[in-house]
Amino acid sequence: MKTVPSDGPAAAPSRRRRGASGSAAIVVVAGAILALLVFLALFADLVSPYDPLRQNLIASLQWPSAAHWLGTDDLGRDVLSRLIHGCRIAVIAAGEATTIAILIGVPIGLFIGYRGGWWDWVVMRVVEAVVSIPGIMVAIVILALLGTGLHKAMIALGILFSTSFLRLARGVVLAEREEVYVRSARVVGASGGRILLGHILPNIAPPLIVQTTLTVGAVLLAEAGLSFIGLGVQPPDASWGTMLSTAAAFMDLHWFLAIPPGIAIILTVLSINLIGDVIRDGVGRGITVAARQDAPVASFAALADVAPSAAALPPPRPDEVLRVEGLRVTVSTADGGELPLISDLSLSISKGETLGLVGESGSGKTLTGLAILGLTSVALRTTHGSIVLNGRDLRTLPRRRIEEVRGNEVAMVFQDPTTSLNPAFTVGSQIAEVLRAKHGLSKSAAWARTVELIDRVGIPRPGERARAFPHELSGGMAQRIAIARALSCNPSLLIADEPTTALDVTVQQEILDLFRDLQAEFGMAILFVTHDLAVAADICDRISVMYAGEMVEMAEVDALFARPRHPYTRGLLSAMPHASDRKPPLPTIRGSVPRPGTWPAGCRFSNRCDFKVAACERRIPLTGTDRLVRCIRADELVLEAAQ
Amino acid sequence: MLRLIVQRLLALIPLLFIVSVMTFSFTSLLPSDPVDLILGETGTQEQHEMLRERMGLNEPIVVRYVQWLGRAVQGDLGTSFFNSVSVSTALMQRLPVTLSLTLVSALIAVVVGVAAGIAAALRPRSLIDRLATVGATFGQAIPNFWFGLLLVAIFAVNLRWFPATGFSPLSASPVDWLRSVTLPAIALGLSSSAAIARQVRSAMVGVLQQDYIRAARAQGLSSRRVILKHALTNAMVPVVAVLSFQITVLLGGALIVEQVFAINGLGTLAIGAVRQQDIPMIQGLVLVMVGLVVVVQLATDVIYGLLNPKARPS
Ligand code: SF4
Repeated sequence: MKTVPSDGPAAAPSRRRRGASGSAAIVVVAGAILALLVFLALFADLVSPYDPLRQNLIASLQWPSAAHWLGTDDLGRDVLSRLIHGCRIAVIAAGEATTIAILIGVPIGLFIGYRGGWWDWVVMRVVEAVVSIPGIMVAIVILALLGTGLHKAMIALGILFSTSFLRLARGVVLAEREEVYVRSARVVGASGGRILLGHILPNIAPPLIVQTTLTVGAVLLAEAGLSFIGLGVQPPDASWGTMLSTAAAFMDLHWFLAIPPGIAIILTVLSINLIGDVIRDGVGRGITVAARQDAPVASFAALADVAPSAAALPPPRPDEVLRVEGLRVTVSTADGGELPLISDLSLSISKGETLGLVGESGSGKTLTGLAILGLTSVALRTTHGSIVLNGRDLRTLPRRRIEEVRGNEVAMVFQDPTTSLNPAFTVGSQIAEVLRAKHGLSKSAAWARTVELIDRVGIPRPGERARAFPHELSGGMAQRIAIARALSCNPSLLIADEPTTALDVTVQQEILDLFRDLQAEFGMAILFVTHDLAVAADICDRISVMYAGEMVEMAEVDALFARPRHPYTRGLLSAMPHASDRKPPLPTIRGSVPRPGTWPAGCRFSNRCDFKVAACERRIPLTGTDRLVRCIRADELVLEAAQ
Repeated sequence: MLRLIVQRLLALIPLLFIVSVMTFSFTSLLPSDPVDLILGETGTQEQHEMLRERMGLNEPIVVRYVQWLGRAVQGDLGTSFFNSVSVSTALMQRLPVTLSLTLVSALIAVVVGVAAGIAAALRPRSLIDRLATVGATFGQAIPNFWFGLLLVAIFAVNLRWFPATGFSPLSASPVDWLRSVTLPAIALGLSSSAAIARQVRSAMVGVLQQDYIRAARAQGLSSRRVILKHALTNAMVPVVAVLSFQITVLLGGALIVEQVFAINGLGTLAIGAVRQQDIPMIQGLVLVMVGLVVVVQLATDVIYGLLNPKARPS
């Protein structure tokens, strides 16, 4: 029932395009870095200007120069040459450890996933144990058993990282085992191994690729770390980790030694991670592409600017609490345009009165309620109109003042009580918090008042229920709590957004009765948003019918039901289920509310209206004084709620 | 809450059992005979036999496991193969060092990560969001020990604000302790704060769209209260779930970062033990690590339960 889009409908695709070209550039750069790395690793001996091990003690710890582009280290060895040979170590390390991890992890994962039972239980407990210990400690333990050195370190890392491949492979097998076709293949008599190979390996490939990129990056960091602490590559061999280990000893004399290997590691890991992200997105997109909605393409230039029609302003009413005039809410689109969601909406409510705001989903009625509170989501803006509450225009107030008004003068009850109460706090504390923040009550006074309020909304054992968490209450009970919270500061206006829709039918009636009782006691005005005309007829004094972001009709309840004047209202009335007969109502309005941006240029109902004439192609004003209607043929048509 | 703790402890029993068996079996996995390791080539046949007898190596393996476990539970982790120091004494000396480094860096990671995550989530696609995203990407690619070297070069060697090396115990002087632990903790916490920032951002973006946030605003609560209390409490639920993993990562990272700052913690002990194949020491280290991880997991489970009432056993 939410009519608030979380983002501009047209905004997403172009952002996606921009993001795609950005990531394409990143992929090219990252790919180039990795290609360079592999090239240097392959041809290190040809490319590097010096022998990475040749010492020259006279020229030690030199800064970069023409002879030594990256300077020399403590033994006068050329840093650039050592860096290039480090590429080779990095590639070997990443390849070796990742291969070992895959070769150990995948077969075992496939096996235990397929076998299940004790094998699975024991291996998974061992995996859990290994994973719970810091990875570097696991590697250290394995190195203690194997001894140190590059290849042994890579075996250690391979064993360490095999756990993630193992879990991945097991997960895929478990998911696939459930698939019918695996079972049917077994019935046909294929052997266990053939089932695995035939059905599971193709499914494992995408996550395997993603996991591999993740592992390669992690292996490089871990290899550098192990070499740095002297457990991996052993001096004098050049690896980025050992180079940093040397650098660490000379930080006070020649800090530059730490820069080249550090940058090399960061660039490499960054490139791998970024490419991994892109691959992950690609694998993910294959799944989600179907769910993507196409953006509306229709032009909405025709509706871009419609001046508020002065004629349609409702006449002033006695005891007016809220008066909205010419309200317009827009969503900003990616091309900088503004797409209207609500246009030229005016209404007023008096003390003790209930105004119904009725329409199908997508008509903008919920959004109207939120716009009055100034609570539309970030992508939306209220561009025109005034919202005068108790004589003050809320749109002109600074944010802090509006925060004061909310709760004190206007409050809102939402559709789904189970999501409008914070799951992390007890329901009582959420009411008491409002009392303390808004009325400055002491903790104990706020709590006492909270229990009173909970009692007032008809909840038995209020003191005990106040200590319950939202998930421990039934929907009806939670909605009573939400109502108690909304009324805690005695607001003069209550906005109720479909407050009974999420509830059982029997509970609905109780909640409606509660609204009536509370209104009689507190005298607040209620703006009651609902799609359900029966509910509106029950509780409202007047009803405003909304369609495609504007009001199409407004009348006293009895008058509206006796003689609707707008074809849309008539359609809604005929669609109402009658309490007497159990037959489902006939869908008397074809189609559905067009989405913002696809509204017809003239009467917005014209594409669904049975009475459409040529004149309906123009914008239709809202006319009348006591009853308002936005239909050019309102006077000639005699509409009745179809039997 | 007590029930939750007991429940979790019971769930840990299989883990602890497996870890203890794995740890114990190091001795048998060792390619060389421990007696040879200790005595080297030098000892006589009789000396070898005597040591073998004294170390209980002639007993059946199950008996040895039970004996070893019994002693370990009482805090007796044996003696080092090499300098006849009691393993538990050595561990207890180093533990506060590594622990303070880990905890301070966890604190930094949480504070920085949560702050950056919130800032990014409040204004999606804004400059600060982009900066946080780029920062998080780099944060996960920069080796903590290299970042540590950089910090040493800038803040210790150049600016001389902090000592370049060493560790001062908290009990001796809190100020010196803080000075000695600041740079290593920042170096260590970098990548975790990046990971936490990512988590907080995505959780926060989701929570801010929830009805109860809109309802809290509709009630006129200040933005500050809505964000820091109502939104953050819920956004931290998934974050806390990864926090225990992050602390485990920090604990491992501490072993390496210690070397940058020449801090005599568990890392130095571990490296020495690996080089000498000092199995009792390695076993002790693993048990200490597992103990710490278990404590951290329990603590995060309790926080998780506090933040998320649905997770509490009723
Ligand atoms: S203006 Fe025309 S199209 Fe619109 S509701 Fe009236 S008759 Fe139908």
